[in-house]
Amino acid sequence: MASITLPNPGVLAASRAVQATTEQPWVRWSLIAIAVAFLGVFLFLPLAIVFSSALERGVSVYVGALREPDAMAAIKLTLIAAGISVPLNMIFGITAAWAIGKFDFLGKSLLITLIDLPFSVSPVVSGLIYVLIFGLQGLLGPWLAAHDLKIIFAVPGIVLATMFVTFPFVARELIPLVEAQGTEEEEAALTLGASGWQTFWRVTLPNVKWGLLYGVILCNARAMGEFGAVSVVSGHIRGRTNTMPLHIEILYNEYQFAPAFAVASLLALLALATLLAKTVVEWKARQQSTELQRMSGEAL
Amino acid sequence: MRLQLKQKSILPGFGLALGFTVLYLSLLVLIPLSATFLKASSLSGQQFWHIVSSHRAVASYKLSFGASGIAATINLFFGLIVAWVLVRYNFPGKRLFDSLVDLPFALPTAVAGIALTTIYAPNGWMGRFLAPLGIQTAYSRLGVVIALTFTGLPFVVRTVQPVLEDLDKEVEEAAASLGADRWQTIIKVLLPAVLPAALTGFSMAFARAVGEYGSVVFISGNMPLKTEITPLLIITKLEQYDYAGATAIAVVMLVASFALLLTINLLQAWSGGRLKRAHANELPETAEFEAAR
Amino acid sequence: MSIEAVNITKRFGQFTALDNVSLEIPSGELVALLGPSGSGKTTLLRIIAGLEFPDIGTVRFDGRDISDRSAQERRVGFVFQHYALFRHMTVFENIAFGLQVRPREFRPSRNQIRTKVHNLLKLIQLENLADRYPSQLSGGQRQRVALARALAVEPSVLLLDEPFGALDAKVRMELRRWLRQLHDEIHITSVFVTHDQEEALEVADRVVVMNEGRIEQVGSPDDVYNRPASAFVYNFLGNVNLFHGRVEEDKTYIHEVETGHVVYVRPHLLDIARLPNGGSHFRARIKHINAAGPLVKVEAIAEWGDPVRVELPQERFRSLQLMKNEEVFIIPKDVQVFPVRNEAARAK
Repeated sequence: MASITLPNPGVLAASRAVQATTEQPWVRWSLIAIAVAFLGVFLFLPLAIVFSSALERGVSVYVGALREPDAMAAIKLTLIAAGISVPLNMIFGITAAWAIGKFDFLGKSLLITLIDLPFSVSPVVSGLIYVLIFGLQGLLGPWLAAHDLKIIFAVPGIVLATMFVTFPFVARELIPLVEAQGTEEEEAALTLGASGWQTFWRVTLPNVKWGLLYGVILCNARAMGEFGAVSVVSGHIRGRTNTMPLHIEILYNEYQFAPAFAVASLLALLALATLLAKTVVEWKARQQSTELQRMSGEAL
Repeated sequence: MRLQLKQKSILPGFGLALGFTVLYLSLLVLIPLSATFLKASSLSGQQFWHIVSSHRAVASYKLSFGASGIAATINLFFGLIVAWVLVRYNFPGKRLFDSLVDLPFALPTAVAGIALTTIYAPNGWMGRFLAPLGIQTAYSRLGVVIALTFTGLPFVVRTVQPVLEDLDKEVEEAAASLGADRWQTIIKVLLPAVLPAALTGFSMAFARAVGEYGSVVFISGNMPLKTEITPLLIITKLEQYDYAGATAIAVVMLVASFALLLTINLLQAWSGGRLKRAHANELPETAEFEAAR
Repeated sequence: MSIEAVNITKRFGQFTALDNVSLEIPSGELVALLGPSGSGKTTLLRIIAGLEFPDIGTVRFDGRDISDRSAQERRVGFVFQHYALFRHMTVFENIAFGLQVRPREFRPSRNQIRTKVHNLLKLIQLENLADRYPSQLSGGQRQRVALARALAVEPSVLLLDEPFGALDAKVRMELRRWLRQLHDEIHITSVFVTHDQEEALEVADRVVVMNEGRIEQVGSPDDVYNRPASAFVYNFLGNVNLFHGRVEEDKTYIHEVETGHVVYVRPHLLDIARLPNGGSHFRARIKHINAAGPLVKVEAIAEWGDPVRVELPQERFRSLQLMKNEEVFIIPKDVQVFPVRNEAARAK
C-alpha cells in the first residue's frame, strides 16, 4: 500500500515541534551555568561573607559584639520601631483593602497609585520630609521646641520614617487578593444573619490570611532593616537613637569589621527567615488558588 | 443628574474604611511630601536653579542615573536568562535559587553594602582577582553599578517569570509547526510576549536604583564629583545644615520618581491589558450568554 | 410567608434593570422568574433578598413593608449562583454558620446546632461528607450544601439564583426534581431565577416571564406555554416559526411581505401532507431531514422562500416516507397571531 510509505505530515510536524520547543543540551546547560553564576556572585557571595566575617574572630567576639550595651540598645530600638510601625501599617492595609477591594468608587485607581508612592521615593527623601516638618528648621520645629517635644533625632522620628517606608507593604499584598475574592461570600454571610464585623472576621479575613501574613513579614523585614530614611532622622546618638543598621554603619566605619558583621548577621538571618516564610506562604497560597480554580472551573 | 461616587453595596463599613485609609495616607505620606514642595517654594527660581544645576549636583545626577541605567540593563539581560532557566529547566538547587532571588528585597541595604564592599575591596574575595587586572571595583563608579545591580536584581526576574509560566507551550509548537526554527520562535514569539513585563521590571529596577542609598554608600567611596550619588548629596547638605539645598535636590529626585512611577504604571497597564485581552477570548460562555441567543 | 414587590424600579447607570415591576407571590408557592439575561430577574431576586436596594418601590413580606430592612434582618435563605460556600470552612461549619453568628441570647447550644446540622445533612443526603471542604465536593454536592446552609437559619422565604445553572445536564435534571420534592415536603415560599424554560415549566407552581426589566406574563406553566400573553412569551418558551401575516375579519393570511401582524407557529404544530386538505396550507420544498430523537425535524423552504421548521412524530414521518427535495403541503394546526410591535423585532 503506497499510502503508508508516504511521510505523514502530522508526524513530521510533531517531531519538529518537539525539537523546536526545547533547546540543545549545550545551550540549556550554558544558560543554566550563566544564571547560576550570576545568582551565585550577586546573592550567595554577599550572604556567605556576612557569616564568614562575623565569625572570623571566633564565637566569643561574635557573642561579645551582640551583648555590648550599644548593640543591645540598637536591637531594642529596632524592635520598638518595627513593633509600632508594623501593626499600624497592618491595620491600615486591612482597612484599605476592604475599602478598595470590596467597593467601586470614583478615584479608586488614583488612591492605589498614591498608596504605592512611598515605594518610589528615595529612602533619603523619605527621611528628609519629616526633618522638613518636625526638625528645628522645619514647619512645626519652633512649636515643638517651645513645648519641649522632640521628634527628629529621637525615637518618634525613627518610628515615623519607618512607617513611611513600610507603609504600602500590607495594603499592596491584600488589595488584589480581596478584590479577586469578590463579594459573594460576604453577601452569603449577611443573608445568613451575620453582622458586618462577623462577616469580616469570619469570612473575609480567613480567606486572605496567607496574603496578610506575607505582607506583614515583608513589612517587618523592611522595618527592621531600613537604613537611609532612619539615618536621616536619627542623629546617630549611640545607645539612644541607633537602630541595628545604623549601629552596623558606625562599627564598620570604625573598622570594627567582625562586630559590624556580627550585628549584620542577625539581620541576614532575619532576611533568610523572611525568604523561607515567603516560600511557605506562596506554596500555601498556590494551594488555595488551585482549589479556587478547581471550584470555579467546575462551576463554569 | 446625581453624581454617583460609589456604587451601592450592601457590605457595611465603606465610609469608615475609606475615611481611615485616606486620613492615614494623608497624614503619613501626602502632607509630608507636599511639605517638601512647600519648603522648596520658599526658594526663588534663581536660587533653586542655582542649587540643582550646580556642578556637583549635575555630576551626582549623571552618576545616579547612569549607574542605575547600566545596572538595570545588566538586570534586564541576566534577569531574562534567570527567569527563563527557572521556568523552563530543571537542575539541582533550582528551588533554592528561586527563593534566593528575593534576597535583595529582604536583606537590609546596610548589610548588603558592607558585604559587597568587603567582597570587592582590593583584598576581598572578588577584589583580589580583579585588582591585578587593573580593575578597581570598590570605591569606584563600578562599585556603584555592582551595588545597584544587587538592589535591582529581583525586579526583572519576578515580573517576567509569571508571564513565561502563563505562556502556552502550544504557541511555540504552533510557531514550530509553521516552520520557524528555535531561534526564530524565541525572537518572534517569546520575546514580544515577555517584552512589556521585562520593560516593567527594567523600569522598576531603575527607579529603585536611582533612590538607593544604603547599599551604595559603603562601596562608592563618596568622592564629590566622582562617586557621589544624589541621595548622598542630600545627606551631605543636611549634615551641613543646608536645608534649602537638600530640599531643592530632593524635589528633583521626587519629580524623577513620580515620572518613573507614571512610566511603570503605563507599562503595567500595557502588559496587563494585553494579558487581559488574551484571557477574555478564553472565557467560557456562561449560562447567561447562552440564554441571550 | 407571602412576598409582594410593588412598583420596583432599579437603574444601574444608564441601564434600567427593572422598570416599574409589581409582583405578588402567595405563601407556600414555588415560583420561577424566567427570562433571558438582562431581563432583570436576578436583580428582582436580589432586591427581595435585600442584597440590592430599589431606586423606587417597596417590598413587603406578609403585608409588612420591609424595604428598609437589611439582608441580615430579612431572614431570607439565599442560594447563590456559584454557591458562595465559605471555602475555608468544612461542610459542617458552612451549614452551622448562620446559627453560630446569632447573638448569644438567640444562639442555639452546641448540641442543638450539631443535631440541626446533621438533620440537614441527612436531608441533602451528604451525612458522610460533613468534614469535607467545599473544594472537595462535586458541583451538585456544593449546590445541596448551599441549600442546606440557607435552610439552617429557618428562613421565611427561600431565594435561589440560577440554582442549577452551573451544573451539567444530568445532575441538573436530578437536582430540580429533588428541589420540587423538597418544596412539597417543607412548603416554604420559594423563588428561583432561571433562563431555562424547561426548568421553569417543570419545577414551578407559577412562572413569571420577564423581559427587558418588565414582567411579560405571570401564570401556571400551562398558562404561559399554551396561552402566551405576548409574542415574546410565545417565542421564549420554545422553538417557533415566524411568518408575516394579515388578519382579515377572523381569518389569517400568511404573506411574504410585512403586513402589520406576525404569525407564530411551533414546529410541532405543523403537519406535512402530500395533498392539500382543504383547510389552511402552504407549499414548501423539503431541504433537510433529521430523524434522530423522539421527533423528526424537517427543514423546508416555503413557497415565498423563507425556511420553515416542522417537527413530526416518528410514526407520522414513517407513514409519509418523506424524501429530500420533495414538494409538500404544510398544514398549520394551531397558530398565534400578534400585532407587530417592536416586539417582533425583539423576538428575533
